[in-house]
Amino acid sequence: MNWLREHRLALTAALARIRKTPGSFSFNVVVIALALVLPLAGLTLLENLRPISRDLAVEPEISVFLSTEVARDRAQAMAAELRDVAQRAGVPVTLEFIDRDKALATMKSRAGLDDVVGALGSNPLPDAYVLRIGGGEQQASPARIEQLADALQKLQGVETVQLDAAWVKRLAALLDLATTVLALLAATLCGVVLAVVFNTIRLQVFTQHEEIGVARLVGATDAFVSRPFYYLGGLLGLFAGALALLAVGAGLMLMNASVGELAKLYGSSFLLSPLDAGSVAVLLAASGALGVIGAALSVRRALRVAG
Amino acid sequence: MSIISFSHVAKKYPGDVVALTDVSMEIGEGELVFLAGPSGAGKSTLLKLIAGIERPSAGLLLVSGQDMRKMNRTTLPYLRRKLGLILQQHRLLNDRSVLQNVMLPLLVSGSTTKEAEQRARVALDRVDLGNKAMLAPQALSGGEQQRVSIARSIVHKPRIILADEPTANLDRASGKLVIDMLQAFNSAGVTCIISTHDERLLQNADRVVQLGQGRVIGMHDAESGVGV
Repeated sequence: MNWLREHRLALTAALARIRKTPGSFSFNVVVIALALVLPLAGLTLLENLRPISRDLAVEPEISVFLSTEVARDRAQAMAAELRDVAQRAGVPVTLEFIDRDKALATMKSRAGLDDVVGALGSNPLPDAYVLRIGGGEQQASPARIEQLADALQKLQGVETVQLDAAWVKRLAALLDLATTVLALLAATLCGVVLAVVFNTIRLQVFTQHEEIGVARLVGATDAFVSRPFYYLGGLLGLFAGALALLAVGAGLMLMNASVGELAKLYGSSFLLSPLDAGSVAVLLAASGALGVIGAALSVRRALRVAG
Repeated sequence: MSIISFSHVAKKYPGDVVALTDVSMEIGEGELVFLAGPSGAGKSTLLKLIAGIERPSAGLLLVSGQDMRKMNRTTLPYLRRKLGLILQQHRLLNDRSVLQNVMLPLLVSGSTTKEAEQRARVALDRVDLGNKAMLAPQALSGGEQQRVSIARSIVHKPRIILADEPTANLDRASGKLVIDMLQAFNSAGVTCIISTHDERLLQNADRVVQLGQGRVIGMHDAESGVGV
């Protein structure tokens, strides 16, 4: 209970200090929030893009479009031939036959091209196979997959062979790169936050130099002296984190008007979503912890210098 | 039984400034000791050594059985809770009320706010400032501020009171009141060590330690009447 009482006393002291200089505290909150906005906005965008890239096939696929002159029986019989070619190329695959009628129905329903397709009169789409390449990265090396695509192209009745995964892989690589850049940015800005908190607390310690001196003379331990500053740093980080999250939320709302319009053009209802409650809690805890760490470094140094 | 023991204690400040040389003496529990001597004699340094504000450069200093050279940031606060410090400059916090200033030693040692407030009010009553508890220290006279400082030094019932020139900035009447209060605490069993250069105060002492140029140059024991 003594422990709890000491912490309550420290929190009260920290809040009293904030009440005494609300302008300076608010200014520091805004400065730290500005430093946090960029990585938080980046994280929010990444979290929105990640599900899209997950939904897309990251494993390479080869689409084999048959000639429209190939009869349905022959088209279905080509499965064995395709499997044989893949086996010879050393690429394990699973096959899916997509008949032209099914493809047309999908096209109508997904792309909203009902009117356009109706105007064509007959089905312009060919029967097709999708070869999904398994066996892991080593077996499905890009060179071998290219060879397989070339071999498939040479088969009689095959009109076009399309390697589908390249752009998806590029997107995944871009997201990975963005994640790395974001992590570096976050690390740099964490440094900025620590520096701002460090300096703020250093100035506070300097301002309260006399109070600290008197407290130590009457038997205050370093922990007693430091604790209110830890709370002050923690509150600084917490408020700055909350402000940054609010700013990102407001930004999302503004952006969503345009994003919604753009997505509608592609027949999608995609909108940018804010971070979920769990992530918000983790980020608030992290920004509060950054504040405490900055304060701890600052107070420890100040007390050491004070002797 | 001695509560403070100096054995060949010396104190040098940076730049080879010698403040104390070869000080040896024992101060018993419950004694009232005056440190006398002109400015620069080493009185304040001696009190600072006892309070752990400075460390001895040489020799052995034991306060309440603890070697002051081995004191560190962790152990020193606990020793200071046994001490009451009265400083010439009062060192009251002007952004807090008189009551809050007096509560501070209790709060740092873990008392509840309620308990600290009750005991601080009692201490303020003892120095006759109970009616000024809610004022800011700047609103008080120099003598009253010194009495607040005394209340702060006794509120946690220390075993030793160290007073550095407690009457230096006070008029005669206020100075007498302060000394009377310190004598009253001493009568209650608290060891009091008071530095002064006011010869008139020395008549009440159990013992007077005369310092000059950082050395003990004389010691007078009232009980035995022995002068060294």
